[in-house]
Amino acid sequence: MTAPNSPLRGRKLGDRRVVVDRPHSAYFRYAGPGVMVAKAAASAPTTAFGRRLARVRSFVFGKPLTSAAEIGERLSKKLALPIFSSDAISSSAYATDEILRVLILAGVAWLTWSIWVAAAIALMLTIVALSYRQVCHGYPAGGGAYVVARENLGPNFGLIAAAALMVDYVMTVAVSSAAALANLSAYFEVIKPYSVLLGAVIIILVTAANLRGVRESGNIFAIPTYMFVGMALLVIGMGIMNVATDSAHIVPPSKFAEKAGTEAFTIFLLLKAFAGGSVALTGVEAIANGVPAFKPPEAKNAANTLIIMALLLGVIFIGLTFVGMHYGVMAETAAGRPVLAQIGSAVFGDGILFALLQVSAALILFLACNTSFNAFPRLAAILAKDDSMPRQFAFRGDRLAFSWGIVVLAGAAIGMLWAFNASVDALIPLYSVGVFICFTLSQAGMVLHWRKERSSGWAWRSVLNGFGAILTGVVFLVVAYEKFFNGAWMVLIFIPTLIAMMMFIRHQYASSARQLTMRPGAAIPQPHRHNRVVIPVSGVNRAVVQALNVARSITTDIRAVYVSDDASHSDAVRELWAQAVPDVPLVLVESPYRALIAPVVAYLDVLDRSWPNEKEEPITFVLIPEYVARHWWERMLYNQAAKQLRAALLGRAHTVVINVPYRRDEPRLQAAAEEQPAGTLVPEDNGHPR
Amino acid sequence: MPEANTPVFRRAVIALSGSSVDAEIVRLALELTRHTHAELIAVHVVELDWTEPLDADVAERSEEAQRVLDAAEGIVEAMHGKMEAVLVQARDVGAAIVDEAASREADLLILGLPYRTRFGGDFAIGRAVPYALKNAPCMVWVVREPMGEESR
Repeated sequence: MTAPNSPLRGRKLGDRRVVVDRPHSAYFRYAGPGVMVAKAAASAPTTAFGRRLARVRSFVFGKPLTSAAEIGERLSKKLALPIFSSDAISSSAYATDEILRVLILAGVAWLTWSIWVAAAIALMLTIVALSYRQVCHGYPAGGGAYVVARENLGPNFGLIAAAALMVDYVMTVAVSSAAALANLSAYFEVIKPYSVLLGAVIIILVTAANLRGVRESGNIFAIPTYMFVGMALLVIGMGIMNVATDSAHIVPPSKFAEKAGTEAFTIFLLLKAFAGGSVALTGVEAIANGVPAFKPPEAKNAANTLIIMALLLGVIFIGLTFVGMHYGVMAETAAGRPVLAQIGSAVFGDGILFALLQVSAALILFLACNTSFNAFPRLAAILAKDDSMPRQFAFRGDRLAFSWGIVVLAGAAIGMLWAFNASVDALIPLYSVGVFICFTLSQAGMVLHWRKERSSGWAWRSVLNGFGAILTGVVFLVVAYEKFFNGAWMVLIFIPTLIAMMMFIRHQYASSARQLTMRPGAAIPQPHRHNRVVIPVSGVNRAVVQALNVARSITTDIRAVYVSDDASHSDAVRELWAQAVPDVPLVLVESPYRALIAPVVAYLDVLDRSWPNEKEEPITFVLIPEYVARHWWERMLYNQAAKQLRAALLGRAHTVVINVPYRRDEPRLQAAAEEQPAGTLVPEDNGHPR
Repeated sequence: MPEANTPVFRRAVIALSGSSVDAEIVRLALELTRHTHAELIAVHVVELDWTEPLDADVAERSEEAQRVLDAAEGIVEAMHGKMEAVLVQARDVGAAIVDEAASREADLLILGLPYRTRFGGDFAIGRAVPYALKNAPCMVWVVREPMGEESR
């Protein structure tokens, strides 16, 4: 309690009032009986350096948001669409290339099959999208394939889906930044040697934008996505008009066109084309992972956004394939132009519209990684809540973003870029393998979900998901087979490694929970173990006296330990000690090898061994006197031995380590110290603890 | 004659009683000061009877009293406004409110009045509002909460 204020006189005789201090009000607010809510000031830094750092953080990442502001950070459908679908929609920019690249192996005549392959992929997209739409409604807490698999197929299948997704999200970031740089370096050769560095810079910039919060990153990244959608729909619309009016002209093949092969047109070739074009589906699952990011009603908004995304993706993909087929566009090698650029050039000519299409395509490819930055941290947070990832992943940062997930994703993606020298060709085989594992698992999970739930339409829904599971399962096998020797084998190692890691973490958390859990209703008895205090001292000084006073409040069984490498000095300390603190025994440990820490630990071991076996182990409090430095640079000068000792005693059985700080500017302590009779308190070693 | 855009008041004291009308008067006051930047001071008085000394450690330890002001501060923060909160111990609520308003040279005193009836069904205005109306040197604005359905 603070001292009461003196009464104030009122306007009338006898009226008095006292203004009462409210010391809590600067930092806390009472929200209910016994409940206080911390204000921003309670978490504000107290040091000058901390305040400066906070200002920099606030400038870079924005001002911290309260948990109550979370609802304001939720996404409208308009904002969620570009955030969660930049990956999926961007894949329509290159999916047609992948189909044509396979079909050309059977000769130019078979390129017209591209539209049927695209239609089959669109059918698969429809099934997957409808399935994920149900996932949004059925599992509104998010988690997508992971939660569906966990709930319906079992926790280990959930981990398979999660690991597959996480690997794919890392790959999406690495591939999209490498692809964006590859496009840029086609025009600016000079940046090619710095691809890894620039890729890392790009990823760090996207990371910083995402650490500013989901809404703000959405505002930043929305324009390129809508620009690409607009330009792609325009090129398709104008292309179809040209086809309908017979004004579409065949584009002559360039020197970079993939050479026509002579392979037989078999079902296997078709499957390969189908698998190649299926990259269009990557990123479709992101919305189902992030349902809680939507404004209420979350599930409905997420489901509707998913359908809009699937529609846009399907229309752009089929539209580009259709227009490309009528213009006779062929896939070209890495040195040539992508199908989208060829179509744009044929439909728009080489004017401003073509330039806008290319710029928007480059931007959306570049920003495709943003979907991963939204989906990965959310998935990691759900896994952390399930104890399958370290719990830090579930904590929200200052801006309500899952900062740990964002930073780890960035770190892993930069690592991949560095390991593969930012080469798109080397990275791409690792991409899109994992996503088909999770599609298959989520579809299979939904089959069981419908069978368990037996709600209206369960039969046709389970047939639809069963068909989807088979389809995506086949695509996974084809993709894994096709890409295995090109690098997909690494993914098939990463995924089990991640699963093993998550299982280990889960086991660790379960084990610690078992050890920490109390029996419900158990009454906690009074402590009955003997307490003793050991104070490692560096001499007789005020910090040691402070520690002694604390020790006396714990127990009467106190001893001080002085480790010395100089016998003559020890005698002086013993004499001073006997004079100043006669009631506390001082143990002098000579250390001929000049070690300071190990002899203290060894002394504690000896104390433990000398304790009678039949009695329960006592609790040993090790009180470490510490001199509190006033300035940051002073910290280097003091307490180094104390820090080492603390580290050495970390986790020691039956031992509690307590730091007892001594502040030289604490007026009460200063006054008390000055009151000590002369001769009882003599500073030793310059008065500073070691 | 004052110009049309001259603020009606520069400093207002809002008397909070811990009743349901508190939130409304804080919101009203904030709305009024949004453009005039007038100063707002919320006062909550804990009444002590004569069995305890006036400077007894009552209000500071009373979560309930602190909560009245904290709730008002919460509303102000949510509306991005500014307000000083003052907790007072006194023998008489009305006198303490008027004295606080007078000592702070407030030109408006805002009081909330819950709609309560006595056993006979008569409207109960309490003691603090009549005291303020009679003794406050500044303008007094009493905001009575709407009647409940059963009273209409």
